[in-house]
Amino acid sequence: MSELPAEPPPLWQRLLSRQALGGWVLAATAVVSLLAPLGLDDAQLTIYVFIGLYTMVVAGLSLLMGFAGQVSLGQAAFFTIGAYTAAILTRDAGMPSLLALAISTTATAGIAALVGLPLLRLRGHYLAFATLAFQLIVLSAISQVPQLTGGDTGLTAIPTLSLGPIALHGQFRTFIFAYVVWVLAAGVLVMNRNLVRSRPGRGLRALATSEVGALAAGVPVTRYKVQVFALSAGYAGLAGGVYAFFVGYIAPETFPVLLSVQFLIMAAVGGLGSVWGSVLGTAGVYLLIQVLDTVGTAPGLPASAPAIFSYAVYGLVLVAIMLYLPQGVLPAIQARLVGRRAVSAVEAERSTRAS
Amino acid sequence: MLEARGLTRRFGGVVAVDEVSLEVAEGELAGVIGPNGAGKSTLFHLITGHLRPDAGRILFGGRDITSLGPDRRARLGIAIAFQAVRLFRGMSVLENVMVGAHAWSRSGFWEAFFRLPRHRAEERRILDRARRALERVGLGDSADRPAESLPLGQQRIVQVARALCGEPRLLLLDEPASGLRAAERERLAQLLASLRGEGLTMLLIEHDVAFVTRLAERITVLDHGRVIARGPAAEIRDDPAVVAAYLGQARERASA
Repeated sequence: MSELPAEPPPLWQRLLSRQALGGWVLAATAVVSLLAPLGLDDAQLTIYVFIGLYTMVVAGLSLLMGFAGQVSLGQAAFFTIGAYTAAILTRDAGMPSLLALAISTTATAGIAALVGLPLLRLRGHYLAFATLAFQLIVLSAISQVPQLTGGDTGLTAIPTLSLGPIALHGQFRTFIFAYVVWVLAAGVLVMNRNLVRSRPGRGLRALATSEVGALAAGVPVTRYKVQVFALSAGYAGLAGGVYAFFVGYIAPETFPVLLSVQFLIMAAVGGLGSVWGSVLGTAGVYLLIQVLDTVGTAPGLPASAPAIFSYAVYGLVLVAIMLYLPQGVLPAIQARLVGRRAVSAVEAERSTRAS
Repeated sequence: MLEARGLTRRFGGVVAVDEVSLEVAEGELAGVIGPNGAGKSTLFHLITGHLRPDAGRILFGGRDITSLGPDRRARLGIAIAFQAVRLFRGMSVLENVMVGAHAWSRSGFWEAFFRLPRHRAEERRILDRARRALERVGLGDSADRPAESLPLGQQRIVQVARALCGEPRLLLLDEPASGLRAAERERLAQLLASLRGEGLTMLLIEHDVAFVTRLAERITVLDHGRVIARGPAAEIRDDPAVVAAYLGQARERASA
């Protein structure tokens, strides 16, 4: 039986190994995200905050789809639930914003667990459409109870984030929000990384291949699926809550189905199941959307131009990724850098075996 | 240790397993043989918990486990190696084996998020046992290879390692020798014999009579979902009913 050579790979390969590359991206992200706000104006900082918020959502989605093999086309529903819960608790119930944020995050995860119990019996396309339907139900439910949610006009004057007597107002508001959001995003990413490398993480990856095999190995498949669904929803709920505090105004039209599609594309671009890829995918797609908006609103273009541009580009990006980089951008780069030797060795062995 | 009483399972109008009773004693390597379509796989899946019986009960260590799912049975110490290979894609051989530790380990999502000390100690224990299990089956050198890159025979053996990593009290094997080449089959037989020597209780369900009679002390023979014979290996091989069952199938195949 021929085995792969056991000698340690050269230094440059070890520095570019999967784990090490994750570390590099982590370090680079940390440095860039700490320094970046210093050099950005308010408009740019706003984009920066949004990228951080969406990164949290996408990180959860990437975990759900890439590791547990479950598809969600309605991730924006949980973003919506988090935003509305946080808004109502602070604005109408007068709760301190941090407490409201904790409750809304937990509540979103709880709702996902309840919805997930029946939904996660479905697979693939069925699960995707069921989650999509869930988002439509959430949006229409919000329109149905205007006393609580403001109906189609939405909720305005949502309090900002505050810690005791200190509220985020004034000149440095966006600047501080940027740090708050990225600390939360970093927390989410580190939690994901830890989960992936642990007992439950291995169980999730196992059930994505074969639920029967995972069950036989003692993996509580249903519980794990519901937990990871609730977790991804919790991330989205947290991001939604902070979004409400940051923007101060929410309405059903803030959370269209297209937002769920956006999250999905971001996750796919970054690489499903790639923890650090979710940062890259989110930032890349979000910036692309900004560019398109700028182009689409240029003088002389019809009013429908931005929408047409974004739909067309979503489609193109998704098709291109699926065709050329099905594992996503970051995993593809890693494979290029690290995997070539190992992969070719495996393939060589396979072909000798087949012949 | 394991006792099945009057297990029956129907699919539509077909009775796949018909009032089958079976006993596996502590430290024994018990065998179940039968021609194709005898109901072996159905019986196996009833014992693993992937199928529920229409009638009958299953006891493990005196406890009724008939209504428990496969993951709960795994936690009680029942490990499984499947016929249709179920290694987990995108994971290394070592990681595949580590999944087997779910049977005794406990850390959940929260412990994992925050890398609590108890969780880290458990992770080290899992890694240690997985490495030992791989060494035990002779695949220590393949630990870091992608699981799907191994040839079929080694994938079966990885399954045995994954089962061992769960520190089982009982190992169930479904047609482990099917599809293997002679050398791979020999290697597997030696591994099972040495595991039996270490006192592991096993139930081997297999089509290949020679493979089973060589390893198992007591054998149960199934045909058309029923037990047609049981006893020591040497007697079973010469039992007219068994010969007829296997020969009957050969004749059917010849005339087909």
